[in-house]
This record gives sequence, structure tokens and C-alpha cells, in this order.
Amino acid sequence: MRSILQFLRSHPTGPIERLDRPTYIKDAKRQLDRQADFTDFNVFISLPSRDAVQRAARTAEASWDKDKHTDPFGRLVALKDNICTSNFPTTAASGILKNFTSPYEATVVKQLRGAGAIIAGKTNMDEFGMGSHSTNSYFGRVEQLGYEGEQLSAGGSSGGSAMAVAWLQCWAALGTDTGGSVRLPAAYTGVMGFKPSYGLLSRWGVIAYANSLDTVGILGSRAEDVRAIFNTLNVHDPQDPTSLVPSTRARFTSEAHARETIGHSSINLRIGIPMDYNIDTLHPTVRKAWVKSLRLLEMAGCTLHPVSLPATQHALSTYYVLAPAEASSNLAKYDGVRYGSRAQGVDGTPESILFAKTRGQGFGPEVRRRILLGAFSLSAQAIDNYFIQAQKVRRLVQQDFDNVFSRPNPLITASEPSSPGNGVDILLCPTAPTLPPTLSELEDQDPVKAYMNDVFTVPASLAGLPAISVPVSFEVETENEGAIWDKSKFETVGIQLIGQFGDDHLVLRVAELLHSISADGLR
Amino acid sequence: MLASPIRTARQALSKRPYICPSCLRKAKLQPLASAQPFVARSYRALHTSAGPPSNDAPFRKLLKDAVKRKKKEERATAASSSSSSSPQQTPKNQDLRLEKWELTVGIEVHAELNTARKLFSGAATSTGEAPNAHVALFDIAFPGSQPHFQIETLVPALRAALALNCRIQQKSSFDRKHYFYQDQPAGYQITQYYEPFAKDGHITLYPHDFPSGVSPDRGPIIIGIKQVQMEQDTAKTVHQPPSTHLLDFNRVSHPLIEIITLPQIHNPTVAAACVRKMQTILKTVNAVTAGMEMGGLRADVNVSVRQRNTQAADTGHTYHGVTGLGQRTEIKNLASIKAVEDAIIAERDRQIDILESGGVVEGETRGWTLGSKTTKRLRGKEGEIDYRYMPDPDITPVIVGKEMVAHLRNTLPMLSDDAITMLVDVQIYGLTPKDASTLLLLDDGDRLDYYLDVVQYLRSALSDYPETLARVGKTAGNWVLMELGALFKNEEWSDSRVSSDQLASIIEYLLRKQITGRTAKLLLAMKFEGDARPVGQIITDGDMMLKPLSHHEYTDMAQKLIEENPNIVKDIVEKHRHQKVKWFVGQMMSNSAEGTVEPGTAEMVLRNLLELPPMQSK
Repeated sequence: MRSILQFLRSHPTGPIERLDRPTYIKDAKRQLDRQADFTDFNVFISLPSRDAVQRAARTAEASWDKDKHTDPFGRLVALKDNICTSNFPTTAASGILKNFTSPYEATVVKQLRGAGAIIAGKTNMDEFGMGSHSTNSYFGRVEQLGYEGEQLSAGGSSGGSAMAVAWLQCWAALGTDTGGSVRLPAAYTGVMGFKPSYGLLSRWGVIAYANSLDTVGILGSRAEDVRAIFNTLNVHDPQDPTSLVPSTRARFTSEAHARETIGHSSINLRIGIPMDYNIDTLHPTVRKAWVKSLRLLEMAGCTLHPVSLPATQHALSTYYVLAPAEASSNLAKYDGVRYGSRAQGVDGTPESILFAKTRGQGFGPEVRRRILLGAFSLSAQAIDNYFIQAQKVRRLVQQDFDNVFSRPNPLITASEPSSPGNGVDILLCPTAPTLPPTLSELEDQDPVKAYMNDVFTVPASLAGLPAISVPVSFEVETENEGAIWDKSKFETVGIQLIGQFGDDHLVLRVAELLHSISADGLR
Repeated sequence: MLASPIRTARQALSKRPYICPSCLRKAKLQPLASAQPFVARSYRALHTSAGPPSNDAPFRKLLKDAVKRKKKEERATAASSSSSSSPQQTPKNQDLRLEKWELTVGIEVHAELNTARKLFSGAATSTGEAPNAHVALFDIAFPGSQPHFQIETLVPALRAALALNCRIQQKSSFDRKHYFYQDQPAGYQITQYYEPFAKDGHITLYPHDFPSGVSPDRGPIIIGIKQVQMEQDTAKTVHQPPSTHLLDFNRVSHPLIEIITLPQIHNPTVAAACVRKMQTILKTVNAVTAGMEMGGLRADVNVSVRQRNTQAADTGHTYHGVTGLGQRTEIKNLASIKAVEDAIIAERDRQIDILESGGVVEGETRGWTLGSKTTKRLRGKEGEIDYRYMPDPDITPVIVGKEMVAHLRNTLPMLSDDAITMLVDVQIYGLTPKDASTLLLLDDGDRLDYYLDVVQYLRSALSDYPETLARVGKTAGNWVLMELGALFKNEEWSDSRVSSDQLASIIEYLLRKQITGRTAKLLLAMKFEGDARPVGQIITDGDMMLKPLSHHEYTDMAQKLIEENPNIVKDIVEKHRHQKVKWFVGQMMSNSAEGTVEPGTAEMVLRNLLELPPMQSK
């Protein structure tokens, strides 16, 4: 592997520029080269052959039609390995699916192919999406190289997808976000990570972790790229029973309306600052970036409004009751009987079932922990105090959000905004309380402490709201002045924007604005 | 016609549900069955349940057996009251025990709904097809697949619930019931635990619902139904000796309803009658595919006993809101009505034995195999599974509109109680309650259809002969059940062997007194054996028409017989054994050609010659 310095010198620029003439062949080659250069990051679990990708890029470039083809046509898009593909294995980074190839393809994959995107490969992740650092993988942990050469957490669970985008190994990537699994790695790796409103993108063919929270998320270098993929996938899918029907979608903020709201000249947006997110353990750098983002938006014409989301303090524990409960149920199907791996030798004794050993060996420790947690919180003795209670708190979290937004929740008919005129359009807060920890720090970390990383991302998941993590550069100490690369490009903090349900386009527009002014602000 | 509601129902029942061809194609296209080599392993620890029972005797046989048993019991009681008893199992002792201990039973019936598709996928439902021919991705829990609730499956479920007098819930939802077993691909069964679709129904058992024709409680018995819920069936495990078990997923996710009664049954016979009646009702409203004999219906029973006349309300157990009950046990997977009754008796006696000897009944799950003397422990309370019921996050609640319920209620086929009321009404059909319920139960209702056809034919054919019309229903009943029934004794019923109009034609000749009863039976036998000629033709060819002899011919024949048998004449005249006239009648009939001598006329002539008083009219 080449050193980070070499990488930064040879590839100083970020996103690929949009040209009149497509550069699909050239872009694909550069991205393939980087995949080959940085195999030690352990970003991909399976990759197509280099030839196949280049062939696809050549075909795309040859058939490109300016009027017909827009992004993601001809672009390399990586897929998290819990999204079913029929031409690559789909493992969810689990030993129990280590040799599994799905007989069918997820709707989102079909949609991407239909739009002309090229599948760049299947990315590494935390097993079944359970983790915040992409270290719980049967195929080994994902590694990120820090500025000082230290090994950092890439965030999880879509760490592979985030790294593939951050290290320019693809144009964009799909991840999944259950409690922050797209936003957190986006924040740690310095890319855009978008979790749409629950029910907008199809989950048919996406391996479930916790169905009521799972969403397909999008990772990209720029908000425009994320939007291009979002527009490709944002269609009702009858195969997914939780996919919102067109009549419901019609009530949401349209792309055109969002564009109008955020015209660069006259921004009249009310930004909410959730004061409950200003916790003691917030890292000073993160706080600084948060303040900077607010200032920049204020300068751009937005007004700032402190808001209170009191149920937030219970959101994390609620999430860690509900998600494992659903997971323990969803993962009951993995028994090695119809597909998947089986334990060596004889399994099942007259006293036990046929697959006790298979399940014991097939799952990693974190998955086993959450299955046990979930089985407990659903048990007859605990369900009232845990699962039912958590469902109630979940409702409170959702009401908290409805109370601060100016737009009523379009899913709740006849809902009046409780603060008409005082409500905010969007919330702004950090994505994670800290910068990415080093992998060595994590090695003997208490699992409960690891769960703390999700404290800011979980509330939007519980309420099903659209949220995006935007990489915001923060000013660094001047000691690096004169260096041949600009450290600030790689020192970013993830700042999260949360919108009312269905305000996905508004969230994407504000993300685009914040991204651009935070880069401008440094000049 | 009065018959029409039943007829339409029966016709609908005989049809297979419509299956959209594209669905079938889709189901077949799935290459899943062959994609994974998931069957060719040998398993060590399989707990296969017993196959479907072959036993479910025809109702008529049950009736006879019940009568025999009753007589036997009466004799036994009479005997035991004189000779005093040996231990326990003598009926008297048994009676004493039952006076002291009261049995309480609750029943859960699982029935396979008659639907074209599975509960949560577009795959077709099937029976007897090649293994794993109808399986969608979700049915075998492929990663990333999701449920697609098939809304049409609600229709038979709602019909069943309405026929069981339930309140249809506006909103119901689906929950996951977790347990591990290889016939349960997802590791959970989707059922309705928190919000079932139907609640608070009841079933009424009338005397005609009992094989003996007598209800043990001397009147209608009402059994409350707590709820009816929809759920998925499991896969089938096929055992291939010595050590191979194959899984067939055709049945997996076939829609089922589970009907849960309140623990309000106190007699094993009532429990059996209750299950049998549920089966009849479900078939009548076309809600289920098959009866118990085909494995389409399975029952679990909860059994407890408590001492009568004790106020145990604060100490006893409470099940479904019924308080003061004894510790119950559950007997799972009873696959015939006889098994329901026998298992309850065995379990009741086992529990009484325990309690009488000072023991404590354990709350446990028990099994029963047909023909055994006692239930067998499967697992105790400590082995009880915590099903960890969780609302299914992928399935939206089901909302049923009032109009839908009203429509289904209005188009519900006539239920068996209404049909029986109609059949026994002397103004309409005039059958005995026993014959009416037999007719209803035989051959999935085909026999009833046949009967109604015969009656309809006769009514129009005999419209010029009104004095016979009142007898048509009863006579046709006799011929359909007894005469034709006897011929079909060892063969499977077919309504085309002797078509309904041919039987009706025979009965018409008989009622018009154009043939004798013996001729009629002969004709029926000939048609049954395949004589293709129309009845009228056979009668003409065989010269079977009743040809009345002249009075002179009768007198000659009678005179001759009297002279040849002076001893009998002596008996009749001197010893007043007037019934021996019948012997002469019989002789006259057998000495002459078939159908020429009418017994009534013959007797009149004989009595005249013997100077006896004329016959008493009956």
C-alpha cells in the first residue's frame, strides 16, 4: 500500500468534475486503480473483474447521449454487502452467509442498473449492520488511515461504502442506515451520507437488521451526486410493503420547491439548534465545527432558533431496546437449512434443535450479543418494561420533532404544527459527538460505550426523518502552513441536518449549501 | 326454490379456487426449489408429528356406534347396580368420580383456509403437488424478502368468523411468534396475537349435532368463542427411513385460521360435537379446504378438572377470563374428532387419578396417539417456549370496512342449523333430524344436493297427483339414504352412478302405484349395476308394470291356496291368528308374475273368502 502522503500528492482533488464530454472510461480506471492500491483498507468484500467494469464503462461512454443520460449513468456505484445482488455474493459480512449468493436482486440494484450505473463491488460492513466502526466483520475490519498515519475507525456500519467514496474508489455508494449507519461513517470519513425518510427507498432485497428503522442510504462526495442517486431510487416499490405509495409521496416537499426555498441569493430558512445535543462529552472540535456551521448559515441569511427535544436523552436506550428486539427476530431465519453455512459435523441433539451449533458458530460476538439482548427484551418477563416502554418513548421522540418543525408531519393527518410561525425548517447538530477514534482505542472498549457513538443519529432514525451528514472543514492550527497539501480538506467534522418527514429534498439542498459555504469560508 | 341457497353454496364448494395463471407461472418460475441442496442431509433430532389420520368414520356409522354404546352402557349400569364393583374403571365408580370432579375443556382449532394463494406471497396454495413446486422467496425466508399480505385470503376467514357469530374487528394486525424448528423457515410464525381479526363469537350445539341425537345437557349448548385469528401454516417434514427427513415447503405459509373457544365445555362428547360442528360450518361457508380426515383441520385441547361445589374462585386458575379452574394441561395436534373425545377422556381420568391420590397436576403439554389409553407428556412448564410475540414491523394493520362485512354477511351460504330446520320442517321436506343431519354431512354435501334434485324432480313430475306431494320429501329421503345408501355401502359416492332423475323416476312409478316396492328396488339395483336404459324402458322391456288381476283371478288364486292349506285356515279361523293371512298374501305374490299381485287387494280378497273382518286401515 502506498503511503497517505503519496496518495495526497498524486490525487489532491476531491470529486470528479462534470464535463461536457463524459469521462467514464478514465474515471473508472482511476477508481479501479485506487481499489487496487488500497486493498489494506479492506473496503470491499467482493469485486467484479477489472475487465468487466472497464467494458461497462466503455459501453456507457460509447452510448452516452447528452439529452438522455444523467448521473448515475456510467458511474461506478458500490453497494453495501447487505444489499442483494445475483452476480456477487451477498454476505452481510457474516460467517453464516459467507458463501451465500442471492437468487434475486434488490429493487435498488435493479433501479441503479436501469439508470446505467455500474456496480463497483460489495463493501465491507459490520455484520448485519450491527456496529459503529465496521470492525465486526467476518471478513476483517475496515481500516481508515489518519493524517498522522494512525489507524482510525471508518465508522459503521456502512464503513466500507463510506471509505470507497472517501478514497475515490467509486463515484458513490449505497449503504443502509438503521441508527446512523450511513451518517456516522460519512462523518468519520469526510463524505456526504444521506438517510432518506423511512419508506422512500425500497428495502426489497435489503437484508433486514431492524425493519422498522432500516433505510437504504446514499454516500457521495457531493450533495448533487447523492441527489442524483436519490432521484433514481425514490420510487414506490410494490415489493416493499413499507414503501410509501405515490399518493403519500405527493404530500412531500418537491425538488422544485426545495430549490426555490434555497435560492442562493435569498435564503430565508429557520434553522433549529437542538440544545439537548450540546452534551458534556461533545468533543471541542466538533462543537467548534457546529458553531462554525451555524455562523456560516446565519451569514447566508438563515435565522437560528434554539429548540428543545427533551426525549432525546432516552432515544439511545430506546434504540438499543428496539433494534436488537427486531434483530433477534429477523436473524432467526439463519439456520443453514435452506441456504447459508452450517457448522461442521453433527448439529442438533435429542434435546436441542437442528441448528443450535450452526447459529452459535455462524454469528459473530456482537450479533450474538444483540440477539440475546433482543430475545430478552421480548421475553414474557421483560417485554412490558423494555419493548413496550421503548415503543412509547419512540412515539415521544417523534412528537418532539413534530413539535419543533414548522411543517406538520405529512404522515399524520390533521396534525397541526404546535408552534405555528415559531417552528423551524430544519435542525442542525453534529453527526457524532467525537472525531473518529483510533482502532486501538476501540479494541478494549466496552460495547455499551461503543453504542454511545449513535447518540445523535438515533433520534432521526426512531422518527423516520430524513437526515444527512455533511463534511464541514474546520480551521486547523497554522503550524501546517506551507505544507504541500491542504490538511483542511481531510480534517472535517460531520454536521447533521435533520428535516421533517418527507422534506428530503430540502435536506439535500441545505446540505449542498452548507457544503459549499463551508468550503468557501476557508478561502 | 327453497333449495337454491344451499345449492349455490354446494356448487361453489365443489369448485377449486381461481388461480391466476400468471401467478402460477411466477410460482413455477422461481428456481428456488432446485437452487439450494437443502434436503439431502440426515438429521438426528427430528420430532416429526404424526401424519394425517386415516380415521374419520362416516357419520352414519358413528350414529350406530353411539346407539350401540349407549345400550351397552345402560346394560352395564344395570348390571353393576346389582353386582358391586371392582376398582375404579367400572362405570359406576366412574360416575361417582365424575359427580365429584368437573371437567373443563377449551379448544383451539386450526383450519386451512380455502384460498388460491399463500398468506404473504403470490405463490399458489397446493395439495399433493410435487414438493417445493409452489414457494416464493418470502415463504422460505430468503434474506431481504418481505411479506406481501394477500388481501383475498381475508374473504374465507371473514366468512368463517361470521358463521361463528364473531364480531369482526375494524383493525387487526399481525405478530411474530418465535420458535425454532426446521419446518418454520423464518424462525417465527406470523399470527395475530395482540389484535385478532375476529372476537367474541359463539357456537350453539343442538341435539341434532350429537351422534345419539341427544344433547348431554338436554338442550342447546352455547360455547363461547374468544377469538379467531389468521396465521401461517408450517412446512411438511417427510420422513424417509431410516434417517432422512425431507422438507416440502408447498404448505408453508398456507393461510390458516385458529379458532379459540372459551373453557366452557364440561363433557368430552360436547367437545367432539363442537369440533365436528365447527368443521361442518367451515365447510358450509366454503372457508376451508378439507376436513380433519384430510389433515385440513387440527385441534389442540386444554383440559382441567376441579372439584364440584367448591368455591375456588380465589385460589384456582384463570383462563381467558374464566376463573376458579383447575391446573390445565394442553394436548396438542389432535387430528380426528374421535381423537379429541378420547384424548379428553384419557386426560380427565389421568388428572382425577392424580388428584384423588393427593397429587398435583403439572401445567404441561401432552400428546395423544390414536388408540392409546393415556396422554403422553411432551414437555413441562420449564420446557415451555417463550414465544416472544412481537408486532411484525413489515406488515401494516388490516382495516376491514363495514360494507365488506355486511356484504359477506348477506351472501353467507345457509348454515347447517338453518338447513336442518328446513329439512325437518314437515311443510317442506319432513325428514327426521337424524336423517337431515346425516344428509348434510355425507359426501361433503353432495348427497344433500342429490336429494334436493330428486325432490325437485318429483315435485314437478307429480304436480298432477297432489295427494303424494306431502310424502315426497320423506320418501325421497328414504331412497337416497337407505336404499341407495346401502348400494354405496362399500363404494365411494358418485351422483352419476344412478342419476337423480332416474331415481326420481323410479320413485314416481312407485308413488303412482305403477310398480311394487320390490320392483322399485330391483330397478334401482339394475341402474346401479350400470343398466343404461331409462327406467321406463326397463319397465316396459321387463314387463314389470303392475298389471292388476281381475277380481275373478284373485278369487281363483286365493281359493286354490285356501284349499291346499287347511291347517293354516284352521289357525286363522279357529285360533284367530288373523296375522297369518299375510302368509297367504306372500304366497299369492310369489306364485304370480312380478308386479301383478297387489298385497292390499290380495288380503281383501282373502279376508272375504275366510269371512274375516276387513283390514284395519293404518
